[in-house]
Amino acid sequence: MTATTRVDSVELVPAGGSGWTVGLSNLLRKEFGQWWTTKLWWIQTLIWLIILNGVTTVIMLDSSGMESDALVDETVQTFFLVAATAVGIAIVLTLQGSIVGERELGTAAWVVSKPVSRTAFVASKLIAHLTGFAITAILIPSALFLVTAQFLLPEPVAYGPFAMGMAVTALNVLFYVVLTLALGCLFKGRGPIAGIGITLILMGQFFKGMLPEAIVLATPWLLGDVAASFAIEQPPAFDRMVPMIVVGIEIVILALVGVWRFNREEF
Amino acid sequence: MESLSIEVGLETPPPLAVPESTSGPAVIHTTGLSKRFGSIEALADLDLSVPQHSIVGFLGPNGAGKTTAIKLLLGLSRPTSGQATVFGLDVVRESTAIRSRVGYLAQDPRFYTHLTARETLEFTAKFFFRGPKSAIQNRIEETLDLVGLTDKADRPTKGFSGGERQRLGIAQAQVNHPDLLVLDEPAAALDPLGRRDVLKIMERLREHTTIFYSTHILDDVQRVSDQVVILHQGRKVADANTSQLLDGGCAYQLDIRGDSATAKSALEGQPWVSEVVLSATEGGDRMTVTVTDQDAGDSLLLRSILRDDALTVTNFGRKQHNLEEVFLNLVEGEET
Repeated sequence: MTATTRVDSVELVPAGGSGWTVGLSNLLRKEFGQWWTTKLWWIQTLIWLIILNGVTTVIMLDSSGMESDALVDETVQTFFLVAATAVGIAIVLTLQGSIVGERELGTAAWVVSKPVSRTAFVASKLIAHLTGFAITAILIPSALFLVTAQFLLPEPVAYGPFAMGMAVTALNVLFYVVLTLALGCLFKGRGPIAGIGITLILMGQFFKGMLPEAIVLATPWLLGDVAASFAIEQPPAFDRMVPMIVVGIEIVILALVGVWRFNREEF
Repeated sequence: MESLSIEVGLETPPPLAVPESTSGPAVIHTTGLSKRFGSIEALADLDLSVPQHSIVGFLGPNGAGKTTAIKLLLGLSRPTSGQATVFGLDVVRESTAIRSRVGYLAQDPRFYTHLTARETLEFTAKFFFRGPKSAIQNRIEETLDLVGLTDKADRPTKGFSGGERQRLGIAQAQVNHPDLLVLDEPAAALDPLGRRDVLKIMERLREHTTIFYSTHILDDVQRVSDQVVILHQGRKVADANTSQLLDGGCAYQLDIRGDSATAKSALEGQPWVSEVVLSATEGGDRMTVTVTDQDAGDSLLLRSILRDDALTVTNFGRKQHNLEEVFLNLVEGEET
């Protein structure tokens, strides 16, 4: 007996795939569908246009005697600092039920009873949500920011450095997406997921300046500052590579822990 | 009922043969399969063999370990000890390959409520095969028709009743034309007509598929199963061909008019009779005779009784059990 699906119709062939990618394309189609064929994408886009572009446009319009350079730096910094915090909170709140909800509803058990790897189940959510937030909360607001800046700022924003800032913000988005999904794999309820995620972000807001630099550098709290520093081309007081590398390592560890736990889950 | 003769036991499973028509290679094979949840032993030392193209009813009261066993076979849960293979593939290491050939209906099937029945089947189908959209749609139409959901195909499953969800569950389990259909309580949420339809579908599918299903509805098992496995408190208490399980074996039943007490005494004196039970019926008595030698029972029992001219035998035959009797006897026997 061979391990192949019996497909009676000559036109249909087994879906195939091997290893952790089994079922991934089908799951991705479903997860992307939930972003782009529902109202989720435009609601998210609207939220980020209001928050990020609304705040920065107000600053651009109310320059109140600021120097040209300072005004550009102020608006760009505001854009990336607000993005780092607000998008992080939104990700935690939006994705807290992504895995837990499916577990509670029984759909996770249904999906993993099909020929699909559990790693693909988690990866499809990671890829779809990362893409969704990257487009709606970074790409579209950034594009509008640059257009607005063209008309309202006295000096142009440098596109290359701004793109670097966007890339660092994407790293921040990736961190919170992975963190929330990993917590979803580890915990059965939404409470700990939202609690840990939001507490982490708020601690950064309130205690970033009080804690030892070694601790702060090991968190995603500085990624907003790093993104802004790239965008305005002014290196910060710390080595900006350190938080990026540390957060990158943390993302990998969180992803591995989450996938390991989900693979051991009993349905 | 005291005289059931099927082999029952925890240590030595009964060596009863499966029917010839279903005696292909074992699709499911388990040896000492066990699962513990902390101090609770959900499944203990399950030895099981399910032949190809058979319908095997997995019977037991709630909490007997049926769903646990099914989840172990599909790799949804890990065994504490023991081994199991499906299509010769290991359930722990090769579960994805196993699931690519299996259709599974969970006990309480749940689907994405924003998807319609058709979208649910399309989503399910794409885990198993790919091809032209028209070919996939044809397969979906055929499956919807099989379970009688064609007219509800484009309704979101959010508004589905329990019975409709169950039908959709059967459809999504069958959409890949699986080599093995595993159904966990397929008829539990259905009304009598729905149950009848499900049993008919199972009968139709057996030609291509092996069906392993759990249930606590004894009548369903009696109607469609070739083989019955009975679990109780995580342990297998019976595993037999259905007809053998229902066969009274060495017990006979006679309906008598006349002095049955004398006949009873006479029979009890025979060396090949182990027990005679007499009960009153309308217009006579019913005698249940258990023998130690079936040949002697067949040839001597009726003759022995008819020697007494004052007795009239209105009915005689081997005792046939119904599954409820067998089941209760096994389960209650286990408990005592």
